[in-house]
Order: sequence, then structure tokens, then C-alpha cells
Amino acid sequence: MAEKLDIHILKNGMVILGEPMEAVASVAFGFMLPAGAAALPQGCCGAGSVIVDWIFRGAGNKNNRQLGDALDSLGLHRAGSVGSSYIAIGAALEAGNLTEAIKLYGDIILEPGLADDQFELARQLAADAVLALDDDPRQKVMLKLREQFYPNPLGRSTVGNIDELKSLTAGKTKEIINSNFDLSKTIFAVAGKYDFDSLCRQMEKLFEAEQAGESKPITIGSKAGKYTHIGNDGAQVHIGVMTETVTPADEDYYNARVAVSVLSGGMSARLFTEVREKRGLCYAIGARYHGLKDAAGIACYAGTTPDKAQETLDVVIAEFNRLTDGIGEEEIQRAKIGLKSSLILHSESSSSRAGGLGSDYYLLGKVRSLDEIKKKIEETTVESVLEFLRNNKFKDFTVVTVGPKEVKVK
Amino acid sequence: MMEFKKELLSNGLCIIGEVNKAAKSAAVGFFVKTGSRDETEQINGVSHFLEHMLFKGTEKRSAIEVNEAFDRTGADFNAFTNEENTVFYSAVLPEYLVEVTGLWIELMRPALRDEDFNIEKNVIKEEIAMYKDLPSFDVMERCKTLHFDGHPCGNSVLGTEQSVENLTAEQMRAYFAGRYAPNNMVLACAGNFDWQRLCDIARQQCAKWQAQDAPRQLQPCQGSKKKKRIDKANLSREHICLFSPAVSAQDPRRFAASLLGFIVGDDVGSRFFWELVDKALAETATMQFGPMDGTGVFCSYIRCSSENVSKVLDIVKDVFQNLSDNSISDEELTKAKNKLLSALVIKNELPMGRLVDLGFNWTYLQQYRTVTDDIDAIKAITINDVHSLIEQFRPGQFTQLSIGPAQSR
Repeated sequence: MAEKLDIHILKNGMVILGEPMEAVASVAFGFMLPAGAAALPQGCCGAGSVIVDWIFRGAGNKNNRQLGDALDSLGLHRAGSVGSSYIAIGAALEAGNLTEAIKLYGDIILEPGLADDQFELARQLAADAVLALDDDPRQKVMLKLREQFYPNPLGRSTVGNIDELKSLTAGKTKEIINSNFDLSKTIFAVAGKYDFDSLCRQMEKLFEAEQAGESKPITIGSKAGKYTHIGNDGAQVHIGVMTETVTPADEDYYNARVAVSVLSGGMSARLFTEVREKRGLCYAIGARYHGLKDAAGIACYAGTTPDKAQETLDVVIAEFNRLTDGIGEEEIQRAKIGLKSSLILHSESSSSRAGGLGSDYYLLGKVRSLDEIKKKIEETTVESVLEFLRNNKFKDFTVVTVGPKEVKVK
Repeated sequence: MMEFKKELLSNGLCIIGEVNKAAKSAAVGFFVKTGSRDETEQINGVSHFLEHMLFKGTEKRSAIEVNEAFDRTGADFNAFTNEENTVFYSAVLPEYLVEVTGLWIELMRPALRDEDFNIEKNVIKEEIAMYKDLPSFDVMERCKTLHFDGHPCGNSVLGTEQSVENLTAEQMRAYFAGRYAPNNMVLACAGNFDWQRLCDIARQQCAKWQAQDAPRQLQPCQGSKKKKRIDKANLSREHICLFSPAVSAQDPRRFAASLLGFIVGDDVGSRFFWELVDKALAETATMQFGPMDGTGVFCSYIRCSSENVSKVLDIVKDVFQNLSDNSISDEELTKAKNKLLSALVIKNELPMGRLVDLGFNWTYLQQYRTVTDDIDAIKAITINDVHSLIEQFRPGQFTQLSIGPAQSR
């Protein structure tokens, strides 16, 4: 999503991407390390959450406390997350501290302390986060939905599996770090105020010596069940619905995005109008595009009290299916302007820009400019979206519910 | 680069703007000084319900037409209600700013139709049910009520299923008439926009609104310091919330209070973090300063396993005890300042972030403050400022409420 793109590839293959922003005094950066949930060995679900914590518990010549204090004294706003393909670690900060921050992250990636006693603490916290999902049914239903929808292991839980976390050892986790922190497949992205030349020199010095690892392709298995219910004596039934669509690299990607926007872009979109405004079935209702490199879906969430759960699910599925019947000209204009405007609004934040650069490069092998995306959205029409929908009819819906009552999936 | 503008209409509506021609977007919104603390028990939940009803249309537009009109501009728009403010906000591309402002102005004089009211009541009840399933939210609401113990700031924002069920459209219309007076609201705008056009449209369309008294009770509150635990069979973790009194949104010591929040309870690197989270005794432990009109709170949230509860609470006691012993070091204060300063800078780089600070500074202080004013105020805080705040407010003496699975006896 760049207006001006800086790009430099280190000799070992590590990609450095940058996008300067004139109006800001901050900078945001992120490393995407190929150790996401789907890239982990069988039986280690949750190791990603442990790793994201453990590598920050001391690195280089600093112990846990010294490293934490050093990061804090730079005023960093740290972000760390586990995705399907990647672990992302990074921060937003005042631009003047970037060099110091990168130096610390170099230590964290290349020389993490990985002490055994610290492993136990990191593992305990990761296990706690899995148990806490029971108290957050909305997040739980969407994690389970991805697990059921994507062919294994693409949808594997990014939070973890409690039994597998219990049997995870420090030794096994170290092995994963050694084999998955492969710099030849690592993407670094920065956006905001920075000096690209001096940044590249620093990155070369820190990371270029590390050589490429072996390539480990992921074997994609089969999908899990069509309907899953998890009983919970709560106030609402939390419903997740997901159906297949095209991946980000597909030529129909923008038709798919506009179709999702017609369904659930703004408050005038169909799901909000039919489910909430006309019928008062839900407070929270919405669908969004969810794309991985090798598979993608449209994921919908709705939360409603038990007596309304069946009607809510029926209306949601009917709205998916009704898309093929026709879309109005004004409706599509609203969907398109919504997509374009959200693109520009998000481009003002250095963090979301850095994130966008990295994921574009991973998913597409290139970074799209803001103008290119705008043009592609512009080019979609009622006809192109309808043709896409007719050629890609929604066949199967994966449904997950968490709550006191089951639904019938027809 | 930033230019502040202000105009006061004769009916008391204040229009403020901060123009930044370098921005790619603009943000505009209404800050209405009304919330659950301005409600009586009979109409508890009306402020929040009313916020929903403003989107249900005017004499000229239906709810669906309102949504369509916003979506035609691509605006990212929404609203929120808390104890003392109802804020309607939007981020938008500069070319649509005037249109979106016009829409907000229209919505500030809603139709409040019975049939819309009845359908939306279901949505509100669903929202109440949704938050019941989120114990991290539920525990804060309940602890707030226990802390304020009869003080209006303890009123629930959403209301209860019962209070919402009993509420009538007539009661809502009366509440609206009393609270959405032009002198009780601010129209604010930040980013790349044309100030003159904004003022013209506001003058044309808002001048006929009638000013009137919209009083608020501002009695002080020291907090009940009560302790309570609630069993909830379907939960798996213990959710603990602590409230203690703090300085108000108008108090110059609010920056010291924010820094104290970072020192004790920032999500990483704080005292709670090192004593509880780093040691894996609690999964999360945070404390924040919550400034309010004429009062304020420190609010902590901790989540842990049932087995760790008593250990965690002992450590919390030690953390606060330690604070009272003048233990904050230069280095600790500097770290807190750096974190607060970078958060401030990053937030204010977006017109939406800027709008929030602009609007609230006017609501609470009737003052325009640049980002630099806030940066300077934060930099000037000394260790003594923080220590004297601790001495006066004693955050270790708190109201405590926890929700968790049934305890084995």
C-alpha cells in the first residue's frame, strides 16, 4: 500500500521494506518471522505464543529485567502477535530512538537468552491465555471457526492448545526457534520517519551473516467438521459462519472484497440492515474477508440471545445467498467508496502502514501502491461482482456456536 | 502548521477546530456532556439508548436513509456513551467533511419515533447480554458501582435489562430535551478541512436550537472501599477489579496521575507487570487513571487462576505499600514519561486521535491545548509530584470486586 516504496534485499534473502511518511514524527517497524501457527510441528500448538514471550525474557548481554527496562526506556509501544504463517514482533516509537530499538530487536532475534526457568513462566502465561478464552466466548468462537474452516494446519489456533502446551518442553521450543527463525524468509517493514540508507547498513551488519535455512513446505490436510457446538451457560449464543472465497493473489480478489463490503461494509450494508436494523436480532453482527496465502474465506460473527439464534443464522445465510440475485448501482458505489476511504484513512497510521507492507509482500510477492488498489477497486462494477459471485457460488458454510443452545445448520 | 479556530454561537454552541493542511483526512464529531451520571434510577440506561436512537433518523430521514447517507461518503463513523459524555465521531476524506458535518447536525435533532424505539430496545438488550458474557467488562462495571456506592458516577452505562425494558419513548424524549441543549455540547473538527465552510453550515443549521440549563451534580466521592466477590459457575478464571479515588479531569495533577498509572500498571514494564505477569502469577494486570468531571479514579484489572488469587492479592498489597514508601526512582519516572509521551505523539498523528483530545479538553477545561502543551506538562512532572499524589489519594485503600468460578470449600 505504498506511495513511495523503499526496498532492499540482504544477501541471505531477508527483505527490508520501507515507506516514508512526511507528516509524522513517529516510526513503526515489524519483523515477520516464519514461525506462525501453521508452520509449527504437529503437537506443538501454542508454541508460537510461548516463543513471542520467551525471546523477550533476556537477550544478548541483558537479562530479562535489563532487556525489559532497555525497551521501556526508549518509550516503545511493543506489539507481538502470532498469525497463521508468521510471528510478528515490532513496535511504534518516536523516530529518534529507531537505531537503538533495532539493535535490541537484533539481540532478541539472533541471541535470545532462552533460559529454562524463563521458559516455564512463558509457557504458564500461554496456557493461561488459552484457559481465559473460556471467559471470552466471542474470541473463542472465531478461533474455533478458523480451525474448522481452513484445511489443517492453516487454521490451527494462534493462541494454543492446552494439552499440547502442557507437554511442550524448552528443548523442543528451542528447536523450533532455531529452525523457524529463518532470516532468508523473514520480512522487515518500517513506515514513518526514518533514514533508509543508514537503516539498511545497520540491518546488513546485524543480520546479513545469518545464512538461509532449509525449506520446509507445509503439507495441507483436510477440513474439519461442518458444524461444531461448544456448550457454555452464558447469556448469548455466539455464532461464527465462514465460507470459501478467492485468495489475495487471485484476479477476482477485488470483486470478492467489494462483495463482502456490500454484505457488511458500512451500516447501510445488508447484514447490519437485515439482522439488526429491521429485525433487532443482534447488537454485534458483521462479516469480513479473511485471507491467507493458500486459502481464504468470508468470516461472519453474530451474537444473540438463545431464542433468536436460529433465526439469526438463517437470516445471515440467506443474505450470503441473496448476493447472487442482484446488487444495486448505489449499493455498489457505497461499497467501493467505503473500501477506498478506509484504505486512505488507515494509511495515515505508521503502524498499520508497516503491517500492510509486510503482509502485501508475503501474500503477493510485491507491495501494491495506494493508487493501484484504488484503481482496482474503481474498476469493479455490478456486472463484474455478480459474475464473480455466480462463478464462485457459496457452497458450504462452516458454522461454530458457543453458548447455551445449539442451532440447526441446513 | 496547526491552527486553532473557535466560534461561539449566541445559543451557547461552541464550534472548535484545529486545521492541519498536511493531513490526508479530517475528523469531526459532537461531544455532548451527558451520560449515565446524569440519569435517575428510573431512566437508567437512557443516555446510551438515546445514542443509538440518534442514528434512527430525523423528521426527514429514516434509519436506513441515515446509514446510506453516511456510507455514501465512506466515513468511518460511530458513537460511544460513558458515565458523563456521549460522543458522535467520524473520520472522513476532506472532500466529504462538509456533508458529514451536515449529517451530524441533522442527527442532533432526531425524530425519536416509537416504532424505532421499540425495535432498538431489542438491540440494547442484546448489547447488555453480550457484555454479560464478557467478565472482563462486567467486573469493571460492577466494581465501579460498588466504589461509587450511591454517587451518580456509579450508575451503569447500559442500564439493566429491567430498567431498559421499563423505559418509555416519552421518558427518552424528555431526557433528550433537557440534555442535548447547544450550550451542553461542542462541535469539534481536526485535520484537513475548511474552517469557514464548517462554521457557515453550523451557523445556518444550529442557530435555531434553544439554549437551556443542563445541570450536573458534582459532589465529591471518596469511594466505599468495600470488598465483594461474586460466583459465576460458567467462568474459568478469576477477574479482579480495584477502584480508588484520584484527581479530576480538571486538576493540573492529572498528568502526574497518568504517570502513576504507567508506573504501577502499564501492560509491560510496570510494577504490576514485573511482580505479577512476568512471574506468571497473573495473565494480565493493569492500572489506569480515569479522569472524570470533578472526580477521578484509579482502576485496576487483574486476571488469574483461582489458585493464585490470595498470592496475587498479597502482592498487590505489597506493591501499593511499597509505593507509599517514596520508592519511585528517577529512572522509573523517566521510563513512564517516555512511554506516555510516545503514546501521546502517536495518537495525535491521526485526525481521529486529535479530535478526541481536542473535544475533551474543551468539554472539561474550556481550553485549547496543543500537543506540545501536554508534552511540556508531562516533562515537568517531578518525583515529588507523584509521591504527594500517592500520599493524598492512597491507592492501596481500594474498593475490590471479583468475579470467578464457584470457590471450593
